[in-house]
Amino acid sequence: MERYEFDDKHGFVEKLEKLVDSGVQKQRINTYTPYLVHEAEELLDASQSGVRAFTGAGAVTGLATGFAFTIYTVLSWPLITGGKPLISLPAFLVIGYELTILFGCLTALVGFFALTRMPVIVNMFSAKEEFSQKFIIEVGDEVRR
Amino acid sequence: MDRVDDVVEHKKNDYHQAVEHDVLSAMKKPGIVYYVALLITGSCFALGMGLWLYQILVGMGVSGLNNPVGWGVYITNFVFWVGIAHSGTLISAVLYLFRARFRSSINRAAEAMTVFAVMTAGLFPLIHLGRSWFFFWLFPYPNERLLWVNFRSPLMWDVFAVGTYFTVSSVFFYVGMIPDFAIAKRFHNGARKWVYSFLSLGWKGTFQQWKHYGKLYMFLAAFATPLVVSVHSVVSWDFAMSILPGWHTTIFAPYFVAGAIFSGTAMVITLVVPMRKIFGLERHITIDHFESLAKIILVTSIIVGYSYLVEFCLAMYSGNVFEADAFINRAVGPYRLWYWMMVSCNAIIPLTLFVRKWRRSLAFLYVLSIFVNIGMWLERFVIIVTSLSKDFDPYSWGLYKPSLVEAGITLGSFGFFLTLFLLFAKFLPVVAISELKEVADE
Repeated sequence: MERYEFDDKHGFVEKLEKLVDSGVQKQRINTYTPYLVHEAEELLDASQSGVRAFTGAGAVTGLATGFAFTIYTVLSWPLITGGKPLISLPAFLVIGYELTILFGCLTALVGFFALTRMPVIVNMFSAKEEFSQKFIIEVGDEVRR
Repeated sequence: MDRVDDVVEHKKNDYHQAVEHDVLSAMKKPGIVYYVALLITGSCFALGMGLWLYQILVGMGVSGLNNPVGWGVYITNFVFWVGIAHSGTLISAVLYLFRARFRSSINRAAEAMTVFAVMTAGLFPLIHLGRSWFFFWLFPYPNERLLWVNFRSPLMWDVFAVGTYFTVSSVFFYVGMIPDFAIAKRFHNGARKWVYSFLSLGWKGTFQQWKHYGKLYMFLAAFATPLVVSVHSVVSWDFAMSILPGWHTTIFAPYFVAGAIFSGTAMVITLVVPMRKIFGLERHITIDHFESLAKIILVTSIIVGYSYLVEFCLAMYSGNVFEADAFINRAVGPYRLWYWMMVSCNAIIPLTLFVRKWRRSLAFLYVLSIFVNIGMWLERFVIIVTSLSKDFDPYSWGLYKPSLVEAGITLGSFGFFLTLFLLFAKFLPVVAISELKEVADE
């Protein structure tokens, strides 16, 4: 396994470009950076993050749940209050709106955990490979997870 | 790479270390000032809790609430604290989407403030309930009475809006801190190292982690933005959906949202000025950051002032005598003193921020932020109490005066909020370290 360490982003991106240009398989390159380096994302994997699909699915489920649940409850015990129709969609929209956001955020979080395989239980408390201010490139023998 | 570049890069790396060092030294063993502050806020909180217990044991008669004024200081506090929460989301989410870089120095403190303010706000409906132990009737769960909650009631919308707001802002707050926990764990030993290691969830800053993290953060910000608008709109509909003169108006939702951001930004200044001083973060939270906040205050103050004016005109042109009278009553009636104090604090005094020199004076901003906090608390008080005290029929009119118990519980809520904030300042990274590094390298 080859390993390169840099103190700054500039050298790190240059080296990464060189590696990719020289034909190293992109999936074998892993990086450790102190913050999200967009250049690295463009070089190594510009595909859409799966978090988006999780979020979308959650948001749609939340909206559907908001309307389905409110309508179910008014029908299960039909009680007219304030002279409003049983199924008052404008009122239920508020619930649907809030649940869209709630479910969307929670599934985004779940999606993030699933895709990054976090929390990482193994070595969680060890000092090995700590998150630091160094920019690191690792070219592994295996494909990165 | 030539020599000049070399030097610049060298300095950048120094800056990275300086951020870590400065922010994490705030988490070291605190000084005497901190303990004194904690003692004061903790005592206020204890006093508030004691008075709440007293109210539960003796009954709601210990508050000044009466018929017709059934909503008073407790509901005022609820709206006030929800409002305080809003600027945290504005700074962390809305400014993130707009790529306003100045947010990075203050977003963590603002997010903490949001979470704590929503927690404080959440106490007040319970305190106001009287029989607080029945609060769970607000939740829709299958029960032996076979009854569901009334989803057509704005109070029910509130449960969902505030509940969602608390959950989402907590998630946002925590997710933002994951990389910083991984840094904090390097700087600590013993039990705290374990706790930070656990909270960092094994974060290492790998390619995959950052890629999905960036997306997650973006989505959370994108959801929090419409959420923040909806939450205070829903709170305003607690009033606007009723038929009471002075409440039943369409302007309420935008007017409340602007007011919320206005008061919350002032609270950020109130909290961050001492925090920056005590923890020596002058290098990372600069006067330019405060000036940007002052501009937000100025803009929202103008919106709030405009709303006061429009509200008045709407009432006068409505052709409805009750509506017109409600507003005349605010300006010249028994609560006129509070009304004019509110107008001065919210719509007149903040206009001084047009002067650049004052905008950049911390002492001036600090005093101003306190005025804004007072003014916005009074705004909610005036809206709630004047309308209730004088509705349609003179037979049912009546005045309301807050009791000492209500004042004490209000003080207790400030104690609760500030205690949480002090604990945050000591145990969590008060500035977003990773974000500051990224901004510095741009």
